[in-house]
Amino acid sequence: MPTTLDLHAVLPEIILSGTLLAVLVVDLFLRDERKLWNSVIAMAGVLGSFWATLTLIGDHRATFNGMFVVDSFALLFKLMFLAVAALVILISANYLDEGVRSTQGEFYFLLLSSFLGMLLMASSRDFLMLFVALELVSAPGFLVAGFKKRDARSNEAAVKFFLFGVLSTAVMLFGMSLIYGVTKSTNLVAVGQALAHPAARSEPLIVASILFIVAGFGFKVSAVPFHFWAPDTYEGSPVPVAAFLSVASKAAGFAGLLQLMFVAFPHQSNVWAPGFAIMAVATMTLGNIVALAQTNIVRLLAYSSIAQAGYMLLPFAVVGGAGPAVMRQAFAASLTYILIYSFMNLGAFAVVIVVNRKRSSNLIADYDGLMSREPGLTTAMLFFLLSLAGIPPLAGFWAKFFVFSAAINGNAAWLAAVMVLNSVIGLYYYLSIGARMVLRPAEDQSRIGVPFALAAAIILLVIIVVAVGVFPDFFNHFSPRSTLVAL
Amino acid sequence: MNLAWPLTLGALLFSIGVYGVLARRNAVLVLMSIELMLNAVNVNLVAFSTWIRETIAIGQIFALFVITIAAAEVGIGLAIVLLIFRNRETINIDEIDLLKW
Amino acid sequence: MILAATGPEIAFWGFAVVAGIAGFFVVGSRNVVHAALYLVGVLGSVGAIYIVLGAEFVGWVQILIYVGAIVVLLLFGIMLTKAPIGGVALDNNQRPVAFIVAATTFGGLTWIIWRTFGGTRIRLSPTRTAQIGNSLFTHFVLPFEAVSVLLLAALVGAIVLARRD
Repeated sequence: MPTTLDLHAVLPEIILSGTLLAVLVVDLFLRDERKLWNSVIAMAGVLGSFWATLTLIGDHRATFNGMFVVDSFALLFKLMFLAVAALVILISANYLDEGVRSTQGEFYFLLLSSFLGMLLMASSRDFLMLFVALELVSAPGFLVAGFKKRDARSNEAAVKFFLFGVLSTAVMLFGMSLIYGVTKSTNLVAVGQALAHPAARSEPLIVASILFIVAGFGFKVSAVPFHFWAPDTYEGSPVPVAAFLSVASKAAGFAGLLQLMFVAFPHQSNVWAPGFAIMAVATMTLGNIVALAQTNIVRLLAYSSIAQAGYMLLPFAVVGGAGPAVMRQAFAASLTYILIYSFMNLGAFAVVIVVNRKRSSNLIADYDGLMSREPGLTTAMLFFLLSLAGIPPLAGFWAKFFVFSAAINGNAAWLAAVMVLNSVIGLYYYLSIGARMVLRPAEDQSRIGVPFALAAAIILLVIIVVAVGVFPDFFNHFSPRSTLVAL
Repeated sequence: MNLAWPLTLGALLFSIGVYGVLARRNAVLVLMSIELMLNAVNVNLVAFSTWIRETIAIGQIFALFVITIAAAEVGIGLAIVLLIFRNRETINIDEIDLLKW
Repeated sequence: MILAATGPEIAFWGFAVVAGIAGFFVVGSRNVVHAALYLVGVLGSVGAIYIVLGAEFVGWVQILIYVGAIVVLLLFGIMLTKAPIGGVALDNNQRPVAFIVAATTFGGLTWIIWRTFGGTRIRLSPTRTAQIGNSLFTHFVLPFEAVSVLLLAALVGAIVLARRD
C-alpha cells in the first residue's frame, strides 16, 4: 500500500539536503584560497530553504503516516533554525577561513546536516522520527566539537560530549521502548491517547519510562544534573561551534521535549511537573551561581546558557494537573523564551568571536575597556547582555515576562519568585561584564576590526533583539495556533 | 513464551551497561558498555514487536534503526578517541581533565 | 514453567544465559581485547535470540553489523590506541557505587516489568523479511533517508578527524 508523499511539505528539507551535498561536492574542486565559496553555497541553500518554509505558512499538513507534521509549531521552529543557520554561517566564515581552512567544506557540510536534523525534529511526531532527528542533530555536533585537532582541550571536549551524548541517547531509547510496549504505538498522538487511561499496574512502568526519556532530553538541553558536559565542551570547542551548540542544539532539544511532554504525556503531568520544578530550580540556580565565579567568558556564557535553560524549563513545572488554558500558556511561554534566547545568545557569542580574533584566551579581562577600542561592538554586546539579563525594553525582558505570567496563572508563584531571584543574580554578572567593558581602561588600545560577515550578523541580531523588545506581540501571533492535542 | 523474560534480559543488559559506564576508565570500554545498553533497548523493542504482531512491525524497524545509528556512532566515537590518543598517549577518561570546574 | 518449556523457550534460555554471563565479563574483564571478544558473545547471543523470537531479518542484521562491523571497529580502535592488556587497572575507584547503582536499576526495572507484563504470553511466529522491507520503504522512508544523511555525515566527519595532516 503506497504512502502518498506530500513533497511540498518536505521541500525545505529537500533543499537543505541538496545544499549539503552540493557543498561537499563543490569543496572537492576548490583550492584552499577559494574555500570561502563553501559558505556562499551554504548560505544560498539556507536562504532557499527559508523561502520554501515561508511558502508553507498557514498550512497544516501531515505526511509520512503522521510521522512528519507541518503546523505552526513546526514552521516557527524551522524558520528560527534556518535564521540561526544563516547567522551561524556568517559568524563562522572568518573564523574558519583563518583557522581550519582546508576543512571548511566539511565543516559546513556537518553544520548543515545538523540543521537538517533540526528541521526534521521540529516536524517529528513519532518516537522513531524524534530519535533519528535527534541523532542527526547530535552526531555532527560531536564531530565539529573536535575540529581543532591538535588542541588537547578540544579533543577532551569532543570525547566528553560524545560519551555523555550516546549514553543519554541509550537511556532515552530504553524509556521509549517501554512506552512502546505499553501503548503499542510510537506515534506521539496515539501514545497520548493510549496513556489517557492506563491500567493501574502499568503506572510505575510509565513513570519510569518518562523519567528515562526526560533524562535523555535533559542532557541535550543541559539541565541539571545532566549539564556536566556543557562548560567543558563549550570551552574546548571552536567558538562558533560553542555558539552553535548553545543555541541550535539546545533549541532542537527543547522542540522535542515540548512535543513529548505536551502531546504524548500530558495526562501524566501530575507526575512529571514536580520533577521539572526541581530540575528547573536546580538548573537556574546552579547556572547562575557558578557563572559568578568564572574568569573565562566562554565558560561564563556556558553557565549562563545553563541558567537560561532553567528558565525555559520552568513552564513545564507549572502544568501539574492543570487545565488546557494553563497548558497552552505554558507551552507558548516556553516556546517564546526558546526563540528569543536563541537570538540574544547568538549575538553574545558573535561578539566573543570578534574579540577572539585578537586574543584567543577568551578571558573576561580581555573585555576591559572595550568601549574605547570598539564602541559599536561594545554597544551591541551591551544590548545582548542586558537582554539576557531581562531588562526592558529588550526582547529578553518579554521572554521572562511570559514565563512569569505562565507561572502565576499556573498557581506556581513560588517558582516565579525563584526565577526573579535568579534573574537578579544573573543581572549582577551580566552587568559586571558591561561595566568592565565601559569603565575599565584597556590594556591594549589597538582596534580589533570587525569583519563584514560578523558585523552584518551582529547588526541583524541587535535589530531583532530591539524589535522584539518593542513589539513583543510578534511571537504571540504564532504560538496559540500550535497543535496541542486532546487538551 | 512469557514476555517478561526477554524484557528481564533487556533490563539485565541495561544494568550491566550502566555499571560499565560508571566503573570503566578506558574510553573504548565505556563505549562497549553503552553498546550493551543499546542492545538492551533492541531486545525490548523486538520482544514487544513479536508480542504485538502488527503488520508494519514498528518495533523491529526501530531496532534496525538503532543498530544502524549505533554503528555510525561507534565510527564517530573511535575517530574522536584516536584524536585524543595521538595528542595525549592515553585514553583513560579520568586522566583527561584539562578542563576543570 | 520449566516443565512446559517448548523448543524455542529452551533455546531462548540458553542464549540468554550466555548473553548474561558474557555481559558480566565485558564490564569485568581485565584485558581489553578479551572484553571485546566477550562483547561478541553478547551480541551473537542476542542476535540468536532475535531469530528465536521470529525476527529473522533483525537477527541477521545484528550479527552482520554488530558482530561483523562494530566489533571489528572496536578492535581496530583498541589496537590503534595501544590498549593495556593486563597489568594496568582498567577500572576507576567508583566500582562499589557503580555496582549499587546498577543493582538498584536492575532490581527496580525487573519489579516494574513483572508487575506490568508478568503474565503476558508471546505467540511466536516468524516475521517475513518481505514485510519488513515493505514497511521500511513505504511507511518509514523518511527516517530511512534521514539516517542515510547521518551515515554520510559520520563518515565524512570521522575521516576528517582521524586522518593525519
